Amino acid sequence: CTDDLNITPNDDQTTLSEELFLNESAYEQVLAGIYANLALTGTDGAGSSNLKNIDAGTSQFGRVLLYVQTLSADEMIWSYENDPGTREIQRNLWTAQNPLLLGMFSRAHLSIALANNFLRETTDAKLDARNVSTATRSEISAYRAEARLMRAMAYYYMMDIFGKANFVTEDDALNSQPPVYDRAQLFSFIETELKAIDTDLIASRQNQYGRADKSVAYMILAKMYLNAEVYINENRYTDCVSYCEKIIGDGYTLATNYLHNFMADNNTNSATNEIIFPIVSDGLTTQNYGPTTVMINGSVGSIEVNGTEVGVSPGGWGGALRVRKQLANLFGSAFANDDRNTIISSGRSIEITDISDRDSGYILQKYSNATSTGTFGIDQTFVDTDFPLFRLADVYLMYAEAHLRGGGGSLSTAVGYVNALRTRANNSNTITSSDLTLDFILDERARELHWEAHRRQDLIRYGKFTGGNYNWVWKGNGSNGISLPAHFKVYPIPTASIAANPNLTQNPGY
Amino acid sequence: QTNLKGTVTEQSTSLPIPAVNVLIKGTNAGTATDFDGEYQIEVNNGDVLQFSFIGYKSQEIIYSGQAVLDVVLEEDTSQLSEIVLIGYGSTTKKDATGSVESVTSEDFTRGNIVTPENLLSGRVAGVSINTSGSPGSGSEIRIRGGSSINASNNPLIIIDGLPIDNNGVNGSNGILATINPNDIESFSVLKDASSTAIYGSRASNGVIIIVTKKGKATFSATYDTQYSFGELTDRIGVFSGDEFRQLIASQPINGSTLNESLLGSASTDWQDEIFRNTVSSLHNVSMQGSLFKAIPARFSFGTTNQEGALITSEFERRNLGVALNPTLLDNHLKINLNANLAFEDNRFGDTGQIGAALGYDPTHPVYDPSSPFGGFYQHRNGSLLSNGTTNPVASLLQRENYGDANRSYGNLNFDYKFHFLPELRAVVNIGYDETESKSIDYTSTLVATNDPVKGNSSLGFQKRTNKSLDGYLNYTDEFGNIRTELMTGYSYQKFTNNGGNTGNQRDSASFPSTFADPDVVLIGFFGRANFTLQDKYLLTLTYRRDGTSRFSETNRWGNFPAAAFAWNMSDEDFLKDNNTISNLKLRVGYGITGQQDISGNNDIFLNRYRGGDQNSQYQFDNQVIESLIASEINPDLKWEETSTIEFGIDYGLFNDRISGSLNFFQKNSTDLLFTASVADGTNFSNSIIQNIGELQIQGIEFSANTDVVKNEDLDINFNFNATFLNREIKKLALGQDVRTGGIAGGTGNNIQLLREGEAPNSFSVFKQLYDTSGNPIEGAYADLNGDNIINDDDRYLKENPNADVILGFQSNINYKNLDLSFNLRANIGNYAYNNANSSRAQYERILDNSVLANLPTSVLNTTFQRTSDVIISDIYLEDASFLKLDNITLGYTFNNVSKSLKSIRLWGGVQNVFTITNYSGLDPEVFGGIDNLIYPRPRTILTGANFKF
Repeated sequence: CTDDLNITPNDDQTTLSEELFLNESAYEQVLAGIYANLALTGTDGAGSSNLKNIDAGTSQFGRVLLYVQTLSADEMIWSYENDPGTREIQRNLWTAQNPLLLGMFSRAHLSIALANNFLRETTDAKLDARNVSTATRSEISAYRAEARLMRAMAYYYMMDIFGKANFVTEDDALNSQPPVYDRAQLFSFIETELKAIDTDLIASRQNQYGRADKSVAYMILAKMYLNAEVYINENRYTDCVSYCEKIIGDGYTLATNYLHNFMADNNTNSATNEIIFPIVSDGLTTQNYGPTTVMINGSVGSIEVNGTEVGVSPGGWGGALRVRKQLANLFGSAFANDDRNTIISSGRSIEITDISDRDSGYILQKYSNATSTGTFGIDQTFVDTDFPLFRLADVYLMYAEAHLRGGGGSLSTAVGYVNALRTRANNSNTITSSDLTLDFILDERARELHWEAHRRQDLIRYGKFTGGNYNWVWKGNGSNGISLPAHFKVYPIPTASIAANPNLTQNPGY
Repeated sequence: QTNLKGTVTEQSTSLPIPAVNVLIKGTNAGTATDFDGEYQIEVNNGDVLQFSFIGYKSQEIIYSGQAVLDVVLEEDTSQLSEIVLIGYGSTTKKDATGSVESVTSEDFTRGNIVTPENLLSGRVAGVSINTSGSPGSGSEIRIRGGSSINASNNPLIIIDGLPIDNNGVNGSNGILATINPNDIESFSVLKDASSTAIYGSRASNGVIIIVTKKGKATFSATYDTQYSFGELTDRIGVFSGDEFRQLIASQPINGSTLNESLLGSASTDWQDEIFRNTVSSLHNVSMQGSLFKAIPARFSFGTTNQEGALITSEFERRNLGVALNPTLLDNHLKINLNANLAFEDNRFGDTGQIGAALGYDPTHPVYDPSSPFGGFYQHRNGSLLSNGTTNPVASLLQRENYGDANRSYGNLNFDYKFHFLPELRAVVNIGYDETESKSIDYTSTLVATNDPVKGNSSLGFQKRTNKSLDGYLNYTDEFGNIRTELMTGYSYQKFTNNGGNTGNQRDSASFPSTFADPDVVLIGFFGRANFTLQDKYLLTLTYRRDGTSRFSETNRWGNFPAAAFAWNMSDEDFLKDNNTISNLKLRVGYGITGQQDISGNNDIFLNRYRGGDQNSQYQFDNQVIESLIASEINPDLKWEETSTIEFGIDYGLFNDRISGSLNFFQKNSTDLLFTASVADGTNFSNSIIQNIGELQIQGIEFSANTDVVKNEDLDINFNFNATFLNREIKKLALGQDVRTGGIAGGTGNNIQLLREGEAPNSFSVFKQLYDTSGNPIEGAYADLNGDNIINDDDRYLKENPNADVILGFQSNINYKNLDLSFNLRANIGNYAYNNANSSRAQYERILDNSVLANLPTSVLNTTFQRTSDVIISDIYLEDASFLKLDNITLGYTFNNVSKSLKSIRLWGGVQNVFTITNYSGLDPEVFGGIDNLIYPRPRTILTGANFKF
């Protein structure tokens, strides 16, 4: 008997696709899988990964995004440099071998693959063939728009970080060697795609928490337009202003307390009015080595042993994360009581001359596994704190910047937004119109949005990331910072990714 | 005609032998002896009577009118060793056309043998066996180095016709650890494709056929006992208490100030505290004889208890074995049943504590009466544990990690010779193997933690089964000068595996989990033809068609042909009377074998989704939703194929006083089952198992068995074998390098590389620079690509973990009743990366979070500060060539002690006698070339006695 060779999975966590879609609730669950790819690295605990040749935590979407956007710049230092890739990222010595870059590239492309798969499984033909009920079909049109939104978001990050991506849609075969889109092609695709799905997306603030709505698409568009000079050498500030206005007009308000955005209950406290899109984390059900788990455990001080205050073990990770001098210096005396200034400096020097010396340099207590009501997350390692990938404060500052760069809008509105942030932070030093300059906004963005995975993009837009006109400690591996070559504005394509697609070529300079 | 009666007895015991063939030569007339060894036959004067029985010398007697003819048969040891088992049948050494080596009980490696594969250690050219020091642990067995990169490199192991699964269960030390070595009669090692191809899909890495001892008609019994005393002879050098206090006072870390108030006043050698001298024992009883005077039977009972050198670790095993070997239907039907039960009880010691002991601050004591953590010293601040390593002695003693595995396995074999056509035999094998395990992991609630959940209490279970059915027909006949043997058959095998774990029952956030692997089903059709012309020219053709459940319907069948030709040159006239060359055979063989063992990817060709476990869900609107994620898929996966060409010479000189083989072979594996990148975005992983790449293995094997002296009183023999191996990657996916060989010291560092044109797993390191006085300069590496930047592009390939040459040398010396044997083993050209030093011997490692930590004293040689600056340096890559005297044993035998006690042998020996090496770590014999604190192998003094009844 040779029929026994036809096996089916025995494990109750695994289902064959032909059986799966017999149950209509599967469509929502497969959609959740696309979102989950931003929070989880695998299906079997925080240490599991559906990517290979890479440590699970080293491919968590939010964490690698934090590393490439923040650790690479002037705000953050990682003490344990024998964790592969960290040294090269934070000293700007990266090569195509860097595992964190592989994590970033592969994880974002997995979002693309999962979204394409969802689109293939929800074509009208398939839904007809499976006799899917009208009720479910009416939900599926929004699901499909969200899948396309998540795919566009992945392409947006690839455009920003690597300047190119494998261009794969639902029409491409598995294991193919797809064409590669450059920045201009990606820009055009994302822009068209995000506008095309607008009608099918659920209205802003009307979708379930954890799912994306219209303003997530607007946010990506606003960010693309703000950086369009970098991406496609075009001035699109007017578009930026108009999309910022759309988001603001949709009813978001600032959280009552700045720190609510970074707490264990930021999925239920006043931050839900401000956060446009979170990366979900939960100490019980959604455990991951993501950005909030890393930042909360990592920023516990080696001297202070202050983990208990933020709801993790007393020693945390022993002082893994500290702040660079340039960020600390942005919080001068005018910010002593600013809620956004969570720097702990007592008994510490501001200088980090030896990166492995965890007692040197200031530390930060921005993120926390404590709730706004004084309780703590359920687990002492895996935090409940969601990572605020997009939030209203960023929109306010983008509006102000795009206005100054000639995108229209009103100066008084811009000043008002900046002051709203300061007032919310209990800082009485509000600004006037004359204070609002581009350089001011860059600094204010750091004060408001530090450690939120924006910094590299901001510095590149300001022409301060590469070159030598702004150096921070350990930039280019100099203890006081040295110039970086211009090709460092995009990261190199990971060697393993090039190996599998001959259409993918290395970025110039690497 | 006369009715002749008689009894056939066994020479040494004078007991009757049932089922002896009695035949009148040149006719079909014959009979067999009954349960009492008696026979009756009608004969004529002048008839030649043949008396034959397997394992005994045949006798021919011309009938000359006696009324009663009693016959005594003598055991034929030489004939036994001549028989060589091959797949689905046997042949003789003379008729073998492939590279097959047989090792029988008298040739077994002696010494501290706990698991059966060690009986072969160092015995067979091309076979390497690497066993860890932990009690009852399994071994890495490689025949000719293994022919895969990512797929399995384990040989196929067959016990009495049942192919077993190499995968163990949780709580067990692996499948071979459940087998009692004392039950084993012989091994047959099949190395070349012409002999292994009959096992098609699973044969690429060679085959080891294990035969257990069978029942015999005559009664005998044995009792073996052995005690052993183990001691670790070496330690990794770390600072003593006083040296450590001096070291801290000298403030050796640049840029950091060490807090001397953290020091204590004790002097503790933490390695001494976690290691111990061990006592182990082994007892075996076996009985052979005729059951109900009809069924040759063997019963055996064995018990083994082995203490581990690491405190708390222990291995215990009890084995029960039954073999029944009746012969029915006038000798036409032979039945062989063997059934075994094994009960394995382990307590595992956490080997991670070996590293903790190296690094634990030596200025503190083991115990501290005021400690809230069970009276063990811990670094703490009041009742709060300090951040850093915890007391390794406490970690070991406060944890009870037990594994109990119960295994039952056996095989029922029918061998029927057709009544109407005695040239035709039908053989059917039914095999079953089931292992169930329970594991318990319990830690004291006083364990050192600040976590509100105090320690762990979890239970696990697992069950593996293996069901096998195969059958074949064998036809033997002579056509003129040509002896022909034809065989054809079918085989079916199915493996299942499932289990689960409760999770930590003290932690409300922890969940129970279960798993169930996809079944693995293997089906094969096979055939073999042997043609022998004039006893001189031998041709073997084999063919197998195999199906596996691991590939999709279109790819699941593979065809595996092989052919071999041999020429018994010494039977030719021009050599027949040669006084020097007593045997000379030339062999040439070619064959294709397959590989499909991709554990963990058994259903990767199917379109699947996987739901998250309880900790891996998503939330919509703060409500948990089980997210479903498409699993990686490769519907195109197919067989990895290895073609082997071999040229061999079997020789015997001076009436076979010197004999052996010389083999030259080349293996080429293509369509390697290899985990390689896929274009990002085109699959549900960045890397999946694919058929990519080629590997080539070239080798020479040489063996020589020498009877130096052989006379009544003195017998000295040597066995020498040498293997030269060269493995090279011929092709990888799109020519790209693949990093491999994860090391300790940071997360995710790799030290090895796969690259076209290089040996697999070559070390990829930075070239260390030295100052003018020859001291290494920290973090300074040669800029090999000359771009003025030192980065990953400057790493170069240096050496690999595999030995170029493997040598084995054994000798047995018998003088009257005295016997002496020893085993020497050497590997040449194998390199090891000293990860123990590379991840620890830097001054910054003194800072262990908020406490102080000890270091290897090798830091004094380099004075390196930072691990991350030096961990990839080639300074940690060392030549690990070695010569080991594995074992030396001396025994004395007292014969005919009493009427019932035939003999007693008393013996003593030493295991792990010495190692000669330049390698600076504890032991140069390292799995995979990365030495990160292996479980040390103790030197063991052994003493034992064998009683034969």
